[in-house]
Amino acid sequence: MSFCIRCNKSFNTEVNFCTNCGSKIEKEKNNNRNIVDAILGFYIMIVCYIAFSHFIYKAYQNSLFTEILLEVIFIGIILTFCFFNLKEILHLYKLPSIKINLYLKYLLITVFSCLLIYFSVGKLNELIFPDKDLNIFSSYLYLENPLLWSLFFVAILPPIFEELAFRGYLFNLLLKLTSPKSTIVATAFLFALIHFSFLSIIWIFPFGLFLGYLRKKHDTLWIPMLVHFTHNFLVVMLDFYFHNKELTELL
Amino acid sequence: MENELLSNANNCSFCKNSIDKDVVFCPECGHPENGTDKQRAQFFAKRAMKKNKKIDDENKISSARNILFILSGIMAVLGFIIYSNTDNIIDLAINFFVAFIYLTLAFWSEQKPFIALLIGLILYITIIIVGFLIDPLSIVKGILWKIVIISLLAKGMHSALELKNKENNRF
Repeated sequence: MSFCIRCNKSFNTEVNFCTNCGSKIEKEKNNNRNIVDAILGFYIMIVCYIAFSHFIYKAYQNSLFTEILLEVIFIGIILTFCFFNLKEILHLYKLPSIKINLYLKYLLITVFSCLLIYFSVGKLNELIFPDKDLNIFSSYLYLENPLLWSLFFVAILPPIFEELAFRGYLFNLLLKLTSPKSTIVATAFLFALIHFSFLSIIWIFPFGLFLGYLRKKHDTLWIPMLVHFTHNFLVVMLDFYFHNKELTELL
Repeated sequence: MENELLSNANNCSFCKNSIDKDVVFCPECGHPENGTDKQRAQFFAKRAMKKNKKIDDENKISSARNILFILSGIMAVLGFIIYSNTDNIIDLAINFFVAFIYLTLAFWSEQKPFIALLIGLILYITIIIVGFLIDPLSIVKGILWKIVIISLLAKGMHSALELKNKENNRF
């Protein structure tokens, strides 16, 4: 049932215009502009955070306090935005039905793609940046338990909060404005762009497409989070293995 | 009974939708079927304004699409200039890659203008911020051009969204 806000005439059937005064019947409040503003605001906030953290990392290298502080700021930004979309976000944390075979298939795809990316993009990185140490594990060597810290900062935190940001908050907002396919493409592109690396875009974009597809298909964040975790965990473990191998070869 | 129902029904002279004989305005298109001449004039004036707004929105989308083509060209030319100065093939590859993304977005905006222009705008803002990280002074270089490009892309994106809403609600 709808009614005219100008002359208060009520209608039992769907109408576009009031038959009494000719006013347009508003079916729902059009807040598309607010959604676009929220998307842009969220993205610009994240980009500004990355710019800010870039300068902080430069000024305070090898500091656990800096690392934790920046993570807290990042998590704070994401949670603040998600707070305004809480109902829809919480819906994404419902546990999916257990389909072992299907999840094993996803994990196999992840392991295979991770190994492919690690060795192909890794080699490309070595060729382009021969003097740069790109080993994730070795960047945490200044700490007492580098493996644990690198797993915490690379394999545990990013899958939880990056998935919440891109496959959760941004995905929900974009889905209100455009088709599911366009939403998957857009979130994958923004996810790749936020990593601020030319080479990363090439492999993170298809990875983001896969995560977006999983989010849409299963309507939950658990599966993309699991896939993302598996990928990052493998990268850290491979970096750990090759770092130790290099050390033993040197000795 | 059937005759009684038929005698109460009529078709809107504008959208041909079936309407009751006694209603003043058509519930589908808002045409003042039994309204005054003034109301009829207002209805057609509003429709003309909507049509003009649609043309205006399409022009804004077209301008934003042209901006994406121009940005693509600029990135490609810039790549050549940087390459000729530095001899670094990576710089050329990065510029060509960004030019390719802009070009893809420009063509994609023919089918999906809103999402293509949104990504284009975000990519442009990101490139400005990356430039700021490399050289903080770069943010003020050509600031007027940057503002013009951002506003044209944003206007095109909002127009695409409004046009989409209108298509969903024909009248």
